[in-house]
Amino acid sequence: MHEEIIHTDNTPKEKQNYVMLKLGRTPAYGWPAFKQVAKRAVSGELLVGLWITLKEMVKTLFMGGKHTTMYPFEKMPIAPRYRAIHNMLRLLESGHYRCIGCGLCEKICISNCIAMETRYDENQRKEVSEYTINFGRCIYCGYCAEVCPELAIVHGGRYETASEQRASFSLFDDMLTPIDMLKQQQEFAGFGSVTPNADAAIKKTPLAY
Amino acid sequence: MDALVVGTIIKIVLVLLIVSALAGFGTYIERKVLAFMQRRLGPAHVGPFGLLQIAADGIKLFTKEDIIPQHANKFIFSLAPVITAATAFIALSAVPLFPTFVIPESLPLIGGAIVPSIIADVNIGVLFVLGMMAAGLYGPLLAGMAQANKWGILGSARTAVQFLSYEVVTGLSVLAPIMVVGSLSLLDFNNAQTGGVGSWLIWQQPIAFILFLIAGFAETNRTPFDLLEHEAEIISGYVTEYSGLRWGMFFIGEYANMFTISILAAVIFCGGYGDIGFVPGWLALLLKVTFFFFLMLWVRASWPHIRPDQLMWLCWKVLMPLAVINIVITGIVVMI
Amino acid sequence: MFEQIAFYLFSILTIGLFLVTVFSNNILYAMTSLASGMVLIAGFFFLNGADFLGVVQLIVYVGAVMALYAFGMMFFNVTKTIKENNTSNVTVFVLGVSIALLMVLMFAAPISPEVIFVSAAPEPNATNPEAVGLVLFTKYLVPFEVAAVMLLIAMIGGIILAGKKMDQSLTKTDDENIIQKDIK
Repeated sequence: MHEEIIHTDNTPKEKQNYVMLKLGRTPAYGWPAFKQVAKRAVSGELLVGLWITLKEMVKTLFMGGKHTTMYPFEKMPIAPRYRAIHNMLRLLESGHYRCIGCGLCEKICISNCIAMETRYDENQRKEVSEYTINFGRCIYCGYCAEVCPELAIVHGGRYETASEQRASFSLFDDMLTPIDMLKQQQEFAGFGSVTPNADAAIKKTPLAY
Repeated sequence: MDALVVGTIIKIVLVLLIVSALAGFGTYIERKVLAFMQRRLGPAHVGPFGLLQIAADGIKLFTKEDIIPQHANKFIFSLAPVITAATAFIALSAVPLFPTFVIPESLPLIGGAIVPSIIADVNIGVLFVLGMMAAGLYGPLLAGMAQANKWGILGSARTAVQFLSYEVVTGLSVLAPIMVVGSLSLLDFNNAQTGGVGSWLIWQQPIAFILFLIAGFAETNRTPFDLLEHEAEIISGYVTEYSGLRWGMFFIGEYANMFTISILAAVIFCGGYGDIGFVPGWLALLLKVTFFFFLMLWVRASWPHIRPDQLMWLCWKVLMPLAVINIVITGIVVMI
Repeated sequence: MFEQIAFYLFSILTIGLFLVTVFSNNILYAMTSLASGMVLIAGFFFLNGADFLGVVQLIVYVGAVMALYAFGMMFFNVTKTIKENNTSNVTVFVLGVSIALLMVLMFAAPISPEVIFVSAAPEPNATNPEAVGLVLFTKYLVPFEVAAVMLLIAMIGGIILAGKKMDQSLTKTDDENIIQKDIK
């Protein structure tokens, strides 16, 4: 086997094993073609493939090399900037919801899926009486979270959106942080923020060859 | 009725039930082995280790809607899966499966029945099995032609080409061991190799063994040669329009054929059900058949499909000349 | 008893299937019934103890010849019924029946119990393939060899006919060249 590891100027952070095979030109006809076929048939190149799969099987069975995440029971961590079903956040001190009913999110929504109604309460403050997001239309663009002056509407991590009713996730109370979970409420890192271990996870793409 | 007839009927029922069940179990094993080779888990949730997945799939197949396309030829369309399953099981009737045994007299009704090792003990077992598998090509062929679907037609054209070509290789590759043993009976093959591992025909006929395996893969429509229903090229080939139980019968036929080829390879080349040291014969045969079955899955996980023209090239320009040369050399050696 | 039941069953089925082959308007039915009739003929061989010939019938006629027919039929729309344009059904019927009768008279009339004899008696202890081989390679050696030479000639002819442009690769030729060649 003619193998050679290609060295490049900007060496990657972890060692990578991309290998270029020097196969030469494939002869099309005649004696050279026959010679190549005979050589490949006898040299046992096919057995290399069999050996690799067998090795993987042994690894999987006895050395814990499975790559499966048992999905409904365990979940992969998702990036903080992931945009799934919206959350409505509360003020940390008072526990009141942050939304001031300004209507910017309704205005900017490019798929017209946010609908809200507001009114003045007894203290002449604006109060949100109705707030729904039609998730059949929402494209999760994130404009509403970006435009919100109070950081009230943000994107959460709930990506399992199968339900029995269309309205399941879309009411204001469903999206609002439960009052007893106020301590665990997290700020949305926001549009364009990077994952915490982004530097470590960076890999060079195999464009060297 | 005499004891042998009753025993034969019992044996037929046993083979039908066991092989049909094994076909289901084969799908489970296939999914598991492929999964492990790709570092996955395979079916894991239904029952212990996902074993009841077979039952779940069976229920699904039985209760699925049976769809027959509007312009299809309904009679032939429903006949084709039966042909595949039937020929696969008829081929199994000439293959030795378990040792002969007598049901004890104490049992009512069937007491004293002799259950034979082979259902139909024809003295040309090898040829009969190959002939039945050759007739099995009508299943995919008629299925593809009857369903009024382009992919089906392509699938059945490939069936005709592939099975016809590889029948030649199977026949020629088996011919050399037949010349060495001097008989067409599978029992004689078994008896010729009773002298331990050293007397196996695989050492005398390694080329014939490899050719037989390759052609067997092609005739059972297994992966490097599964052009009949190659998803990437022709959707599902001859099974494109099939659903439910009819589709399941194609599957059962394919797995029964896999078992037949495995048993043939074990009996013709690898000593059959002769004892190996302390391992009793029936267990040895079971282990060999299991190995060949595993080999089919292993190869499926490892090697890519080949193109139809490569398939024909391999058959007519490589395998057939090799088989003929092998026969000529064997003939000269046998004569001397 | 089993043999007799099987014989009559096979006879009725074979005749019925071949009748379907002749009378059906649908290629698919005709082909399927012809192939299944061939399988049943193999059954007759098995009934008479000629296992080897039965299997050869299976492999050659069912597995190879009929499959080649089927391959030829890929180029038709097999699900359609064929409209035969017979000018006169009476003519076809009279001609067909009279030719069939003539053939039967020609080949079957000389056969009577006195003239039937075994021209080559099989070895008493030989197994099936051995008996066939002994007869084939002693008494009928010359016809066997002639048939072999004929098949060889047919094979070479087939290869020459089919392999005329085999060294040219269509995928490696430009489209224009192919079209120009076609025009020529």
